[in-house]
Amino acid sequence: MNHFALTIVGRDRPGIVSQVTEILFNQGCNLADSSCSILGGQFTMILILGHPEFTSRESFGEAFKPLEDADLTVALRVLKPGGEIRPQIEGDICMISVYGADKPGIVYHVAQVLGEKQVNITDLNTKLVGTEERPVYVMVIEAVLPEGVEEEDVNTWLAPTRDELQVDITVRTIPTVEL
Amino acid sequence: MAVRSILIYPDPILKQVADPVEAVDESAVAVIQDLVDTMVDSGHSVGIAAPQIGVLRRVLVVDVSKSKLGKSNNHGLLEMVNPEIIEKSGSKIMREGCMSIPDYTGNVTRAEHIVVEFTNRNGQLRVIEASGFEAVAIQHELDHLDGLLFLDRVSSLKTDLYRRKSK
Ligand SMILES: [Zn+2]
Repeated sequence: MNHFALTIVGRDRPGIVSQVTEILFNQGCNLADSSCSILGGQFTMILILGHPEFTSRESFGEAFKPLEDADLTVALRVLKPGGEIRPQIEGDICMISVYGADKPGIVYHVAQVLGEKQVNITDLNTKLVGTEERPVYVMVIEAVLPEGVEEEDVNTWLAPTRDELQVDITVRTIPTVEL
Repeated sequence: MAVRSILIYPDPILKQVADPVEAVDESAVAVIQDLVDTMVDSGHSVGIAAPQIGVLRRVLVVDVSKSKLGKSNNHGLLEMVNPEIIEKSGSKIMREGCMSIPDYTGNVTRAEHIVVEFTNRNGQLRVIEASGFEAVAIQHELDHLDGLLFLDRVSSLKTDLYRRKSK
């Protein structure tokens, strides 16, 4: 089975998911991981799919033409073998919420601190909320902490960023329980 | 009595609603004992419900006293027949794993404090107040009696469902 990463972006409207998945179904693709969401006014789809015979962009022929005709932007990436397998990341899961008055560089500054400390970001979402006069920036990060790193360490590392950017930051680990 | 094997999803029994126990007779006590034996045998487990061993009756056992998160706040071994939550308050998120869904864990929000009414092994009606990890464990096991898995409780696959650490 060969694997592909397919991304589709276009102005949000009802019916995009069914149009895309109908094509993939008719082509004989298997959907593995996928994430679809509205960002701004755009509907975005990122899909990891497999196909028993297809090997390249050309294998899909004109299959995506109806999507392009419907003003959707389609990009296909051919994955190298093993590129569909999620790496095993060991460690405690930690949620970091960052929010405050909108200003440039919030994501960059927080990500920089986490990157330096080898904290692996596994999910990151940002949203602009509040009013037009007083926009509030909200970011929620899910990260995996390296061995030996505790919630308090992350808090300490982010304290200078909190002061510098005048944002609120909360860090919480989620306990894993076997039931 | 006996260690039983644990049903794994997609076994259809896990999605069925279990029947109330009419009387705590010999057969009901046997189910309780099998659940305790199976829970102890599985080593890491802090609770198990009858449907997980293929018995569609409203029986569960919970014991968080040996676990790090529960050892300071627990009622020891709880054996519950026809358990019912009569009060709940607060909320708590934990990343739950389930013996019937190996390899995955999911973030689930549950009540932090509960009051549960149940019949014990001796047929007596009991009411206890549980909180923290013990309360979460009781709610997780009680869900099994209603055919619910933690997958029914996660709100987002993207942020709430994880592949379990490799063992
Ligand atoms: Zn379970």
